[in-house]
Amino acid sequence: MPYILNTPSQIKEMLEVVGLHSLEELFSHLPPSVRIKGHLSLPSGLSEEELIRVVKRLAKKNKSLSNFNSFLGGGIYPHYIPSPLNHLIGRAEFYTAYTPYQAEASQGILQAIFEYQTYICLLTGMEVSNASLYDGATSLAEAVLMSLRIKKRSKVLVCESIHPEYRATLRTYLKGSDFLVEEIKFNRYGFLDLDILKEKIDDEVACLCIQSPNFFGLIEDLESISEVVKGKEILVILVTNPVSLAILKEPAKLGVDIVCGEGQILGRACAWGGETFGWLATKRDYLRQLPGRIVGKTIDREGKESFCLTLQTREQHIRREKATSNICSNHSLNAIAGAIYLSLLGKEGLKKVALYSLNLAHYLYQCLQDIKEIKLVFPSSFFNEFVWQVNDSYQVWEVLYRKNIIPGLILEKFYPQLKDCILSSCTEIKTKEEIDDFVRCLKEVIR
Amino acid sequence: MKEKIIFQKSQKGRFTDYVTNPQISIFPPSHFIPQKLLREDLNLPSLGEGEVVRHYTNLSRLNYCVDTNFYPLGSCTMKYNPKVNEDLANLEEFLHIHPYQKEEDIQGTLELLYNLEKLLCEITGMERFSFQPSAGAHGELTGMLIVKAFHSLKREKRFKVIIPDSSHGTNPATASMCGYQVVVVESTKEGLVDIDKLRKLMDSSTAGIMLTCPNTLGIFEEKILDIREIVHRQGGLLYYDGANFNALLGITKPSLMGFDIVHLNLHKTFSTPHGSGGPGAGAVGVRKDLVPFLPVPLVDKKNDYYYLNYDLKHSIGKVRSFYGNFPVLVKTYAYLLRLGKEGLVRVAHNSVLNANYIREKLRDNYQLASSKRCMHEVVFSCKDKKEEYGVTALDIAKRLLDYGIHPPTMYFPLVVKEALMIEPTETESKETLDYFIEVMKRIDQEAKTKPSILKDAPHTTFTKRVDEVSAARNPVLKWEESGE
Repeated sequence: MPYILNTPSQIKEMLEVVGLHSLEELFSHLPPSVRIKGHLSLPSGLSEEELIRVVKRLAKKNKSLSNFNSFLGGGIYPHYIPSPLNHLIGRAEFYTAYTPYQAEASQGILQAIFEYQTYICLLTGMEVSNASLYDGATSLAEAVLMSLRIKKRSKVLVCESIHPEYRATLRTYLKGSDFLVEEIKFNRYGFLDLDILKEKIDDEVACLCIQSPNFFGLIEDLESISEVVKGKEILVILVTNPVSLAILKEPAKLGVDIVCGEGQILGRACAWGGETFGWLATKRDYLRQLPGRIVGKTIDREGKESFCLTLQTREQHIRREKATSNICSNHSLNAIAGAIYLSLLGKEGLKKVALYSLNLAHYLYQCLQDIKEIKLVFPSSFFNEFVWQVNDSYQVWEVLYRKNIIPGLILEKFYPQLKDCILSSCTEIKTKEEIDDFVRCLKEVIR
Repeated sequence: MKEKIIFQKSQKGRFTDYVTNPQISIFPPSHFIPQKLLREDLNLPSLGEGEVVRHYTNLSRLNYCVDTNFYPLGSCTMKYNPKVNEDLANLEEFLHIHPYQKEEDIQGTLELLYNLEKLLCEITGMERFSFQPSAGAHGELTGMLIVKAFHSLKREKRFKVIIPDSSHGTNPATASMCGYQVVVVESTKEGLVDIDKLRKLMDSSTAGIMLTCPNTLGIFEEKILDIREIVHRQGGLLYYDGANFNALLGITKPSLMGFDIVHLNLHKTFSTPHGSGGPGAGAVGVRKDLVPFLPVPLVDKKNDYYYLNYDLKHSIGKVRSFYGNFPVLVKTYAYLLRLGKEGLVRVAHNSVLNANYIREKLRDNYQLASSKRCMHEVVFSCKDKKEEYGVTALDIAKRLLDYGIHPPTMYFPLVVKEALMIEPTETESKETLDYFIEVMKRIDQEAKTKPSILKDAPHTTFTKRVDEVSAARNPVLKWEESGE
């Protein structure tokens, strides 16, 4: 039997110690009516070889990104992952360990997370980071809950140009309470509408949530936005792409109070959106309201520098119903992968990733500008993705897809007002040939 | 040796060069973005590949893990994580998929989820599962929001949730996040829910109860059918915290015990690794009439074509972006196929046998928290040792490190003073258990004869006992260049 080491004679010996005659007797105190009669109606076990065959057969039914010239983005981005990263993350001492409760037996994990927290602070300019959350959407939700606790107010302002799935998640998280969420529309240029923002501000607003680069790729003028909320006791929560921070100004310097986002972008696979981590950083003033684990530096009995989980009185296992969040397990391994990614790329590497993504996306934008049937919907101050419009977009999309090109994400499902609009993204792994090929095929399809 | 902080290893001018130069003209960021929104400097380290690899390899060697040490951490089910599961989760066709690809590109992914859901439904007796929740606590949040939506739809005002005093901290924290008032039901001295007290607490303003079974003392709630009766009669729902389901695989189903909503910790019961704290997955299953409340989308099938179904009438919405921790789900599926129905029962048998073996062998040396037979884990109290020798559960836990054993869960459940909660899991051998038992007996002797050796433990680890108090008093949460 796979994975079980006790032999039949050992089992017999152990049962004798326990004073029982059969394994069944271990469960004799369960009410008979709750017992399963006979076996579960499941198949019998497979050999390892059979298992591999069965699962590989399923995998082969997929058509991965490798088969396509894809311009999909919208929150999950395929960046190059340096080879050492998965070797390091694949070390059992990281992936088969638990949360580092026992500091003396977990110094490596703790130091890796301490360094991760430092990386997040360096990118954002913030003073404190937690040890990770589940994904970008839940990190936004937790940031909002933080702000509601800090400000003790009842209203949340949310830009409509925040990732639709993040807004949906936030709405779900707030279903448990009576807080009011108000969405602020984007203007005709795709940016937050400052006039609407001014109208919406009142004494009950705890926070303003904004994304930049926003869901359309546009870089919002955070400086002007912060000016509007200044002095109003409103926390500014920013969702951002951590790779964009290699070139964009530190959010902390632009009046942002809490910054959060998706970590997949830092060295994790697209994995159907399933290799994520949420990151979150803020000012030291709000430290006691941070959700989740935090690693701190300390000393051991001999005075040596060491690390441990800290400020645990915020957490559920101690504070129970008064905890800052219910989170227990987070996405530690993915966060450590994020730190390894940043270590491997380093200062110059990450800058290049950002710079080339930016330039390649703008190169595509330029190419599309020359096609008269295509309308570039918003201005050009975007990072690695932008919105364009074409008549009969679904049909155009489908014809290109049959040529193994995925032009991007059709936005109508999320934004009915953006009819026939497509969001196209480039990262540093896109080549000029791929972009040129896409543009050539697009022209053929339209004309 | 102590590994330096990675930022201290930076050398100006050193780089790795992973990024391909695109064959287009490259303009500086200021060409596209207003200068005022650009940063002046990016203060990341400059390192080389070899030293990054050495850094993290050396860090990894400072950790205990399931592959290197016995890790009997109670309530965490630190069982062996099969290697083949990792291989399968990392197949290119699963990993290199964008969440916004067409359904026809991901038929394999969807079929796997469809099949996995069917298996979990059979195992638990639930009607449908959502795979979106990314951890146990996330599953609890999902489940309790479903409870809330269910009662609101019926226009019932229920503002309380009953939770045993032995529960995981996530239960009250979750109930509170969902806007419920937490009502604590006390345990009997045997560690079971006090039925009389429950009967008095349960009323028509109570939304339901959150229960772990076996509970955190490792005891099966023998009166589970009475609990069901009391809660259901008042219109409440029973939420099953599946953290301890390992003991009951193939023995009983949450549906048979009367539960309406279940979360399963796929990273505990179903062998997916814990990743230094995550990612796991907290799949949530519900009985038939609660299906319309599940998060969207679910995976359905029509004419052998798998699709994402967003058409759920009362869905609570999304609890995260995209669809869940898919690689974790591949590992779960692989585990279930490999074990099959006979294998699952053996998991329950051996996990319960292993825990009872430890219980029996150590009961003369350590005080049992309950006189009831245990299931997958056993809880001892070190209260008497603290009183007699001044030795705490923490001291004993740290001393175990000197013998190469990861400590059990300490000081939990809260209802047991100086608790040590030991969960061996089914994948440990009798030899390992015998070694552990011998060590625990030796430590018991040490407590009597030379308690200082426990007080000062661990002695053999590179890092000695860390000062957690000053870490919290003066929080240093990131590396600073200035002489840190």
